[in-house]
Amino acid sequence: MRRLRLLALLAAMQWGVATASAQDSIKIGADLPMSGPNAEYGELFGAAANLAVEHANADKMLSRKLSIQFEDSQATPQQGVVAMNKLVNVEKVPFVLSAFTGVSKAIAPVGDRAKVVSVNGGGIGPDLAELGEYFWNVIPLVNLEIRVMAPYLVQERGFKKIALIYVDDPAGEAIQKELKENVPKAGGQMVAELQVPRNAQQFTSIAAKVREAGPDLVFIASFGAQQAQIVKQLRDNGVTQQLASYSAFSSPTVTQLPEAKGALFPTQSVDWQAAGMSERVAKDWKAKTGKEPNAYVANYYNAVMVFVHLAQALEKSSQPITGENLLKQRKANGSFDLVGGKMEFLPNGSVSMPIQINEIDGGAGKMVKGGTMAN
Amino acid sequence: MLLLQLVINGLQLGAIYALTAVGFSLIFGATKIFHVAHGAAFTIAAYLFWWTNTVLGLLWPLAAGLAVIAAVVFGLCMERFIYRPIQRHEGAFFTVFIAAFGVQIIVQNLIGTVFGRGFVSVTTPLSHSVQVLPGLFVAPVAALAIVVAVIGFTALTYYLSRTHTGMAMRALSENPDLIRVFGLDPGRVAQYAFAIGSAIVVPGAIFTAMTAGLNPAVGAHVMLISLAATIVGGIGSLRGAAYGGLLLGLAENLALWRLDPQWSEAVTFVVLFLFIIFRPAGFFGRPHAAK
Amino acid sequence: MWAYVINLAVLISINAILAVTLNFILGYAGIFSIAHALFFGVGAYTATFFAMNFGASFLLATAAGMGLAALISLALALPALRVRGEYFVAASLGLQMLAITVFTEWKSVTGGIGGLTNIPPARLFGFAVTQPEHFLLLALACLALIILVIRALVRSSFGRSLKAIRDDETAAWTYGKNVAIIKTTAVVVSSALAAVAGALYAFYMSFINVESFVLDTSIQLMAMVIIGGTATLLGPVIGTVLILLLPAGLSYLPYLPVTEIGSIQQIVYGAAMVVLMIYRPGGLWGFQDSPRTPKGGAT
Repeated sequence: MRRLRLLALLAAMQWGVATASAQDSIKIGADLPMSGPNAEYGELFGAAANLAVEHANADKMLSRKLSIQFEDSQATPQQGVVAMNKLVNVEKVPFVLSAFTGVSKAIAPVGDRAKVVSVNGGGIGPDLAELGEYFWNVIPLVNLEIRVMAPYLVQERGFKKIALIYVDDPAGEAIQKELKENVPKAGGQMVAELQVPRNAQQFTSIAAKVREAGPDLVFIASFGAQQAQIVKQLRDNGVTQQLASYSAFSSPTVTQLPEAKGALFPTQSVDWQAAGMSERVAKDWKAKTGKEPNAYVANYYNAVMVFVHLAQALEKSSQPITGENLLKQRKANGSFDLVGGKMEFLPNGSVSMPIQINEIDGGAGKMVKGGTMAN
Repeated sequence: MLLLQLVINGLQLGAIYALTAVGFSLIFGATKIFHVAHGAAFTIAAYLFWWTNTVLGLLWPLAAGLAVIAAVVFGLCMERFIYRPIQRHEGAFFTVFIAAFGVQIIVQNLIGTVFGRGFVSVTTPLSHSVQVLPGLFVAPVAALAIVVAVIGFTALTYYLSRTHTGMAMRALSENPDLIRVFGLDPGRVAQYAFAIGSAIVVPGAIFTAMTAGLNPAVGAHVMLISLAATIVGGIGSLRGAAYGGLLLGLAENLALWRLDPQWSEAVTFVVLFLFIIFRPAGFFGRPHAAK
Repeated sequence: MWAYVINLAVLISINAILAVTLNFILGYAGIFSIAHALFFGVGAYTATFFAMNFGASFLLATAAGMGLAALISLALALPALRVRGEYFVAASLGLQMLAITVFTEWKSVTGGIGGLTNIPPARLFGFAVTQPEHFLLLALACLALIILVIRALVRSSFGRSLKAIRDDETAAWTYGKNVAIIKTTAVVVSSALAAVAGALYAFYMSFINVESFVLDTSIQLMAMVIIGGTATLLGPVIGTVLILLLPAGLSYLPYLPVTEIGSIQQIVYGAAMVVLMIYRPGGLWGFQDSPRTPKGGAT
């Protein structure tokens, strides 16, 4: 009897749901890591998105207030799908912010079937451009980054022999594929390709294998806390060679790491001094967080702004804000003035932007090569 | 030279595994309790050391001392408040195992909630390795870990064979009732076992904090390896557990010589599985341990 | 709202199948396996492979999953025959961890961490099961069927032999029971039926990856069986419902941060396991005492 009552109580809690508060706001969704080892990214992306919402509401860009429903993906594909199902089926949002290559690949079919738009501002796997019409990217994907990095490292800086340490997940594998293709093309050689499990934390023996391979440069393709650990343990174990990575090195855990000094990494070119939107975002971000904004901040700010602009256009033509209509609108006019300049969507829903190369200097990083378009 | 380097790395890792495995084996050998929450003692000690040393800034001997106290208290509490009540009922292996598992889950999640799920480490110049031979890098912490493991194990063996409580502990595993005949209290002896067994993980915990870093799941991982080491070495043999830990640490690193890194963890479990099928008594276990 | 409830109900059904099948070997046979998530995974991956290559027939894909799971379960049965208690737990642990590495590395078949996406919807009798409501019916039907099968087995002489072996293996052996065959059959049946849950899961989510089949999953299944009650038919189902409703229930407590709900869920069932073991080892729905210690075995 006691057990049945317990069950009934739990069922009642289920039922007594506050169905989402009176729908007086326009809601979009966000499927970001809010817990787990990658929660720092979710926090960063979410804060940037919220800043955009603040500006949109302050400038009264839409007829109603905009708000974001955050769901926790924990940066794992499985949880990401569960969260996406909730956003799509329960919250019924027309537009979702996504992050992480693995998660994005998993949630894309869900969005595709439900005709809900997903926008990625952090994941970089080139596969992300092939996830269907309803999956868009506002971040240049890693193939563009590598196409700029490889010639720079090999030809301009003379690092011919490259050892790669890459994480065992779609993002790491995408980078490995790109490097394998582009480094020889630039005249260099991959002397080692070491794959590490996602939760690995011991790299002393990996360092030994790297030393054995005798490279000029070590390329690290990981993310989160692991990439910082790799850098630290490489340096601790006698690897003195130049380090390089992709845009994930712009994370503070790496830029603030003393052992990472001198490492090279690409990011999309963002001129934070440019008058107008960029300047405003930089100023407000600094005021809120006390830190300089980075490319990720721009991307998630932009992602929300893309929605706002498209929704504005739909409202003007009295169309309902649905995923289908958002897609149609984007196809009709895919060019937006955003942080970093004018952004133009390619037909496959991704963007091409100038890439700059930076060096870690203990501060925010200094640019060593200005914006180049990947060929 | 790569091979030698991998051996050294393996010994360092193996030393940490050996210490934890010996603690587990000691507790199991003396009290017959399958203390799956042993990993939780490791996690608690490691995080406490990190927190007091890195966050609060206490000197390392003080931080280490606090970690030891915490581990011991944890072990004693487990014995007193969890295992003893269960054993009063009937103490089936099943019940004890599940309860210990439950505690391990609680501790892992509590630590995650309090200290964050990301990963933390203790920065120290000790982890910076020195080139001792061309191509061979050894960090002070590696040498330290091996030395401490050897000292710890020697001290423990001496304790068990020379002191009264030590001998009582060995007797406890053979025949608890006989202990009472001699006027000793089995409960008391069990407490000593838990205290020492839990304390001995602390050096390993500290070294892990310095080298690989910590996350809340680190205790569970170490527990798995200790379990494997105990079985491979032979249940009931401390020497076996130590060698088992060393062997697994070596295997994990040597696997990198020829295999991709992802398979190195799998190697440990293949070894474990094979031992259970073909030689459940392990290296030094007593013959009747198998069915 | 309704969609959310149906979603939860489907997941509960799938997990209930796993819990009930785990209970068959854990509660009734005294075989403490932490490798159950492995068979969940095998069922899921096989069904997916079949569906993507030979057509998404639910019956055929599930049968393929069951077949492969049964085969692989022989690897688990082997240590079950040779050792007991803590040794067996360690062996099942080894197998589970090995399976995780295989699932992660055999990318051509499992997709690794990226997983397998765009799994086609299940087809049953020429009808594609796309609506969540219909899927719920399918899942419930499978659950009911499996419970009936287990019930029939438990009440048969096979079931009695199983319990006899659990309680005292040596005695059972002296009575002429072929212990090896009986234990192996139990493991094979349990694993094959667990694979059904895997197939359901794959078709429902349209996406699977190794993260659903890890050690934490096996542990959660064990918690469902223990807390609900071992050696009873309904106990595991109760345990499943409680554990899966917990996060939903917790999310309504206003002062709990959303990021901690997963942790708190685990703390709650961890604590429940400890408390139950001290006071009520048979589980919430079970008998007062725990399944008796298997005697005549290791240690």
